Amino acid sequence: MTRFVLHRLLLTIPALFGLLVLTFIMLRVLPNDPSAALAGENATPAQIAAVRKAYGFDEPLWKQFVIYAGQVGSGDLGNSIISNRPVVRDIAERLPATIELTFVSLLFAACVGIPLGTMAAVWYNSLFDHVVRVVTVAGLAIASFWFAIILQMVFSMELDWLPLRGRFPVGLPPPMHLTGLYLIDSLLTLRFDLFGQAFGHILMPAFTMSLAGLASIARFTRAGVLETMQKEFVHYAEAAGYTRRRIIWVYMLRNSVVGATTQIGLLFGGLISSAVAVESIFDWPGVGSYAVSAILTSDYKAVLAVTLVVGLIYSIVNILVDVVHAWLDPRVAEKL
Amino acid sequence: MKRRTFLMGTGATVTAALMGGRVALAQRKPDELVWADNLPGSLDPHALSDVPMQGYMINVYDTLYVNQDNPPKLVPWLATGHTVSDDGLTVTFKLHNGVKFHDGSPLTSADVVWTFQRLLDVKKGPASAFLAVLDPNGITAPDPTTVVFKLKQPYAPFPAATPLVAILNRRAIEPNVKDNDWGQGWLASNSAGSGSYILDPSTYQPVQQIDLKRNHDHFMGWSHNKSPIEIVRRRNILETTTRVNALIKGDVDCTDSYLPPDQVDRVLASKTATVSKDQSMRVMVLRMNNKKAPFDNLNFRRAVSHAFNYKGFIDGVLKGFAVRNAGPIPVNLWGSPKDLPSYDFNLDTAKEFLAKAKAEGAPVDREIEIHIQQHLAQTTQAAQILQQGLRKIGVNLRIVANLWPQMVSATAKADTTPDMWVHWVSSYFIDPENWIGQMYDSQFHGTWKASCWYKNEKVDALLREARRLDDQSKRQALYEEASRLVVADAVDIWIYNAIELRGLSNRLRGFRFTPIGSGADFRSMSLTS
Repeated sequence: MTRFVLHRLLLTIPALFGLLVLTFIMLRVLPNDPSAALAGENATPAQIAAVRKAYGFDEPLWKQFVIYAGQVGSGDLGNSIISNRPVVRDIAERLPATIELTFVSLLFAACVGIPLGTMAAVWYNSLFDHVVRVVTVAGLAIASFWFAIILQMVFSMELDWLPLRGRFPVGLPPPMHLTGLYLIDSLLTLRFDLFGQAFGHILMPAFTMSLAGLASIARFTRAGVLETMQKEFVHYAEAAGYTRRRIIWVYMLRNSVVGATTQIGLLFGGLISSAVAVESIFDWPGVGSYAVSAILTSDYKAVLAVTLVVGLIYSIVNILVDVVHAWLDPRVAEKL
Repeated sequence: MKRRTFLMGTGATVTAALMGGRVALAQRKPDELVWADNLPGSLDPHALSDVPMQGYMINVYDTLYVNQDNPPKLVPWLATGHTVSDDGLTVTFKLHNGVKFHDGSPLTSADVVWTFQRLLDVKKGPASAFLAVLDPNGITAPDPTTVVFKLKQPYAPFPAATPLVAILNRRAIEPNVKDNDWGQGWLASNSAGSGSYILDPSTYQPVQQIDLKRNHDHFMGWSHNKSPIEIVRRRNILETTTRVNALIKGDVDCTDSYLPPDQVDRVLASKTATVSKDQSMRVMVLRMNNKKAPFDNLNFRRAVSHAFNYKGFIDGVLKGFAVRNAGPIPVNLWGSPKDLPSYDFNLDTAKEFLAKAKAEGAPVDREIEIHIQQHLAQTTQAAQILQQGLRKIGVNLRIVANLWPQMVSATAKADTTPDMWVHWVSSYFIDPENWIGQMYDSQFHGTWKASCWYKNEKVDALLREARRLDDQSKRQALYEEASRLVVADAVDIWIYNAIELRGLSNRLRGFRFTPIGSGADFRSMSLTS
């Protein structure tokens, strides 16, 4: 297993390099030069050229890439062209917010999606199954942008149950920084009042982000359980007199969620990309809203850094999924 | 875990969440303002010169002169006044005594000299207004309250441009200079000013949030405001719907000043907020590349000018929240002729001009392009209105989505400048030079403001003479004549002067709109309970 994990970690290096090359080319082949904007509203062509030279935008593209790749190789993702701050610092400040939102969404999607899919399979072709199918199709089809606004209008504006926006109330000091994840930090410091605040703020954005994942997990689980139900060990367990609850939730489920588990790994990348829209609507201070601002201002170093960091997280999560996969199915572990 | 334990835990968590939402509102203090407007990309006031930077700078920094009220008046601030020599080449400012920076150190003329030298060496943002006329060695401080600027050529808008330059505390910056960067790396996340509010750098998250606290020792004092705001929490909410909802709900005390007209009724219908409607100095322009065929043909430009439905756009799309502006200078600024003839929406006239252009050999049948700013819906709407009109006279217009930085870099050369593009010219400094001077004097070719690539020697001469003279009445006559000429030449399509729409909480008092900073000067504001 250790050899497998190390092997996979090594493979992420060329994958991330490929990602860097692709993103760099996509960003820089466009006439995407922020020099004119930086030089001021009535800068002359000579002044703009001076700014371009200062930032190295006048160099050939390949040379710009070699310089940038060298910086990245030495662990320096550079400074934001607009804010002049190290982009690593900006991302490090915002990444915990995105990770917390993504994990809560994923947790929510799995905790609701797996039981929903299981029950839909157990009650195959019943009214419940039909309702789950409609709900899951709708979950995949609904635009998160629209759904987020509906949630805000109902639960915040009309019912006044949940906060409208943000990660924490304005003016209230957040929990002591331990992990940067407010839910965890508030629990570790036994500040249950702050946990309530953080939990209230994360509910709507996490639910919005989880919707598509929930639908996908429910459908995969349903298909997996339906297949497992036909297996001989299930009939044997029934004949041996095990309770139906035990057969479904202990024996069948473990053999059915392998596909759904793989799906969770794939979903992680999708969730982070959907964070761009959800974070903007809920004013969530994560890397998604940072990426939006960076794109609008052509701050290409910030965009590249966000892409790399998200790529790295995506790779790590997929390795973790493989490990869980092996834990769920010992036959997979033997092949690793 | 037993089912009962699980259910109790879940119930407790949800209750905590719901309580959390309600407690959140109770956290707000009565003297604490939450200002939900855009934040600048950097906190270095010499790095950027845009509308969000103005909103930050006017609170944290002081300038030699400031603009106040609407229409704006240029008022001495750090300076007590200025004199200009007869030849127009020497401008002398006298400074107030006893001004202190936030760290308690004195602000003297040496700081003003160092500030301008930094500005000219960094060569970013506001520097471009001074680089052509000012040399770093031409700024001197003969005594602690006198600053002398020796200009390379007479430049009448110089005092009007000084509000662009935040005066910096060199003693705070110099220890943080790295690799001769003039402290740019440090100042991007910190402040070194003397303004009415002090930045709390620990709260700074780029383009997301900053907190400011009141500077009790500001040199202008606080006698004008009995209950000033102690803490300002600036929060940038990206999404307009969320911004408006947050205002109505009472989470924040304002929106940005570009509230979409369709949201105005929503805000006004609420019991918690209102909308401030202020005529600004922000002209929407559809640029035409006068060097590219068929836009190099006067009759074609006139045909396009008559194909835009001005009234339909202002009354329909903007719901009347704009003032028709027939020329490049805002109608509420001196220099804009009162009798300036405007192009009207008339497709018959447009067809006549198009026929003339065709007869003169202009390639009127080729598809033309207009570039819009894809995150600004109004630019798309304006392009669509023009597209409709042009289609009816047989001209095919393609709308191309683009972003501001890309378009600005494209305008560096005539052949890369699009046929047409949409933008506004905002008030960076209040002088016709900011509009007609920099838009239509051919010496500015290669800048986005002059991206129509218009060249008319008579207009050049008028604008250069206006820049040289110190007498405003003489300058006004020159700008009026230049305006008539560029309008007759249908150089661009000038649509409207903006009415800025800013949602404001009902608990806010003392909001004073000025086009520079769009009313985001917190000095005059207070909050009711």
